[in-house]
Amino acid sequence: MSGDGGPDSELLEVIVDRVNVGVLVVDERFAVARWNRFMAMHSGIAPLEALGRDLFELFPDLPRRWLTQKLRSVFLLGNYAFTSWEQRPYLFRFPHNRPATAASVDCMRQDCTFIPIRDATDRVTHVCITVTDVTDACIYQMQLLDAMRRLEEMSVRDALTGIFNRGHIEARLRDEVARSRRHGDPLSVILLDVDDFKRVNDRHGHKAGDTVLREVVRRITGNLRQHDVCGRYGGEEFTVVLPGTDLPSARVVAERLRRAVACQAVETSAGPIKLSITLGVAQLDPDTIDHEMLLDRADRALYQGKRAGRDRVMTAADGC
Amino acid sequence: MSFQDYTPDQEDALQEVVNIAMGQAGSALAHILDSYVALSVPRVRIVSAQDVADAVAEMISGTREGDPEQMTAVRQAFFNNLRGESIVLFGAGGCDDLADLLGHDQALAQEETNEELLLDVANILSGAVLNGIAQQLETDFAYSAPTLMARGGSVQDLLNPEMLGWEYALLVEVNFSLEARGFSCHLVLLMPETSIDLMREVLDRMLEAL
Amino acid sequence: MALPVLVVDDSSMSRKLTIRAFPEGWDVDITQAANGREALERFEQGRGHVMFLDLTMPDMDGFGVLSEIRRRGLDCFVIVVSADIQPKAEERSRDLGAMAFLRKPVQAAELRAVLTEYGFL
Repeated sequence: MSGDGGPDSELLEVIVDRVNVGVLVVDERFAVARWNRFMAMHSGIAPLEALGRDLFELFPDLPRRWLTQKLRSVFLLGNYAFTSWEQRPYLFRFPHNRPATAASVDCMRQDCTFIPIRDATDRVTHVCITVTDVTDACIYQMQLLDAMRRLEEMSVRDALTGIFNRGHIEARLRDEVARSRRHGDPLSVILLDVDDFKRVNDRHGHKAGDTVLREVVRRITGNLRQHDVCGRYGGEEFTVVLPGTDLPSARVVAERLRRAVACQAVETSAGPIKLSITLGVAQLDPDTIDHEMLLDRADRALYQGKRAGRDRVMTAADGC
Repeated sequence: MSFQDYTPDQEDALQEVVNIAMGQAGSALAHILDSYVALSVPRVRIVSAQDVADAVAEMISGTREGDPEQMTAVRQAFFNNLRGESIVLFGAGGCDDLADLLGHDQALAQEETNEELLLDVANILSGAVLNGIAQQLETDFAYSAPTLMARGGSVQDLLNPEMLGWEYALLVEVNFSLEARGFSCHLVLLMPETSIDLMREVLDRMLEAL
Repeated sequence: MALPVLVVDDSSMSRKLTIRAFPEGWDVDITQAANGREALERFEQGRGHVMFLDLTMPDMDGFGVLSEIRRRGLDCFVIVVSADIQPKAEERSRDLGAMAFLRKPVQAAELRAVLTEYGFL
C-alpha cells in the first residue's frame, strides 16, 4: 500500500491527500490503511489517529451489518460497489458546507464508491472507499421537485381565487360522471354566476371586482361539504360538483350558497358592495350523455334564473 | 443504412467470451444467493435503435418472469476504449422480496432499503459479467454508479428509439434464473457504433492468436 | 498409436482454445463435434477415447451426452469443459460419470495435472 518512491508517486500522494473527495482504504479486518485530508477535516480525526484503527470503532454510528456485507462482497467478488445519496443519504455523518443556506438538509449528502485493490497475485487485499460530497446536487434536486410540485399545483388552480380552474373542474366532472355511472350513485352540478358583475367592475374598478370574486369564492367554499369540488368556470361564473347528491339535496346546497352571498355586503376598498348570485342546478340522469351535456343543462337552468329576475336557484327540472 | 454484421467467426468468438463471463457472474450470484443459478445461452447481435426494444421484449417473453410490460430496470455505464451501458431488468415478481432471497435477517433489512438491494444485485451482476469480458479481452472497465431507470415500466418505454443516441448497437443478452425460487433477471449490454467496430478489431486479434 | 480425442463444443473458438491448451507433444488424433448428437456418432466411429465436453449446446447438451454414455454403458473418459463454474454443475457432471471438470477457457497447467493424474502423460 505504500508508495514505492519516485517523483510520480510523490505527486500522487499529494493528489490523493488534497483532492476534494474523501479517500480511505481498509484492509480485510476493516482497519484503516489510508485516510486523506478530506476525511480528516470533516471527521475531525487526524490521519495518525485513524491509521490502523478499526473503522467501526472510529465511527460507531456506521450501519455495521450492512457495511460489513458490502465490504465483504467487494473482497470476495472483486467488483466495484456503490452507494447513492438517493437511497442512502450518507455513509459518514459529516456537517455540510452550507450551514447558512441549506437548513432543510441536516448533514453532508454523499455518493460513495468501493474499489477493490489487488496485490501482485490478483487477490483483493484492500478496499478503497471514495466519498463525494453531493449536498449541492441534493439541494438542487429538492428545489426542482418543489418547483415541479408548485407548477403542477398552478396548472390546476385559478390564480385569482385559488380554487380549481376550468380545465381541472371539467376533468373532475368527467371522472365523477363515469364513477356515478359505474356505482349508480346520484351526481349533481351547480353552475352559478355573480349578478351584474360587469357593473361592479365598471363602477368600483377591477380591484374591487377582484375582491368581490375572492369573497364570493370564500363564502361558497365555506358552505360546501368536504367531497364537493368547486372551480372557476369563466370570468364571474363558477361550477360546483356534488358527488353522491340528488337534485332536491343539490337544490338545498344551492339555496344555502345563494343566501351566503346575498346576506351581507362585501367589504372592498371602494366601500361595501351588495351582491347576489343566480344558480342553475342539474342532476345526472340516463338521458344525459356526458359531462358537457350535464353542464349544458345546468347552464340553461341558470339562464332561466337570470330571465326570471336573478338572485335565485333554478333547477333543470323546472321546465328547462 | 445497414450496419455490417459480424462474420460467423467473430460472432462465435464474442458469444464464447460472453458465455465464459456469464458463467463467472452466475457463480458470483450463486454465491451471494446461496442457490444454483440457471444460465441461458447468451445472445449476441447487432440491432438498430428501432428494433432493440422488440428484440429485448421477445427474449424476456420467453422466460418465466416474462412480462415485458412490467419491468424494473437498473442502468449503469461502463467505459474504457469500449463503452456502453448495461441494463438489468427484473420482472415484477423478480424483485418483490430480494431481502428474503438474500437471506437477510430483520436487523440487516432495517439497515437498507429494497431499492438499495436492487441496485446492489444489478451492480454485482453487471460487474461480474463485464469484468469477465474485460479480462478475456485483456482490458479493464471503469463503471458509473448504478441508477434506477424505472419501476414497473415497459421495455418499449425503456428503450424508446427517440431517446437512444445511436442508430446501431451491439446487443448482448444474458438471462439468470433461480431454479428453486421465483426469481429471474435479464442483463442487457448495449454498445453503440464506435464500439461495434472496435470490438470487431479486438475479436479479429483474438482469432488470429489462435 | 495416437490417442483418439474428441472435442465437443458448439463454439469453434472454444474448441480451438481447448485444443491450444493440450500439452506439447501429446500424441493425439483430434476429432471435433459441434453438438451432442454429432459427438455420439463420432464416438461410435471410435473417434473418442478421451472426450472434452461442453455443457451448454443445442441438439443434446453435455448432460444429455453423459447420460447417454452411461445408459449405453460406453467406455469413455469424459472431461467436462464448462463456462458454468457453479459447484452444482460440477457435482452434476461427476454424478453422471465425468472424470474431471475444467473451467473455460481451459488452462494448460490444469489440463496437464488432470492428464498426469490419470496416466495419459
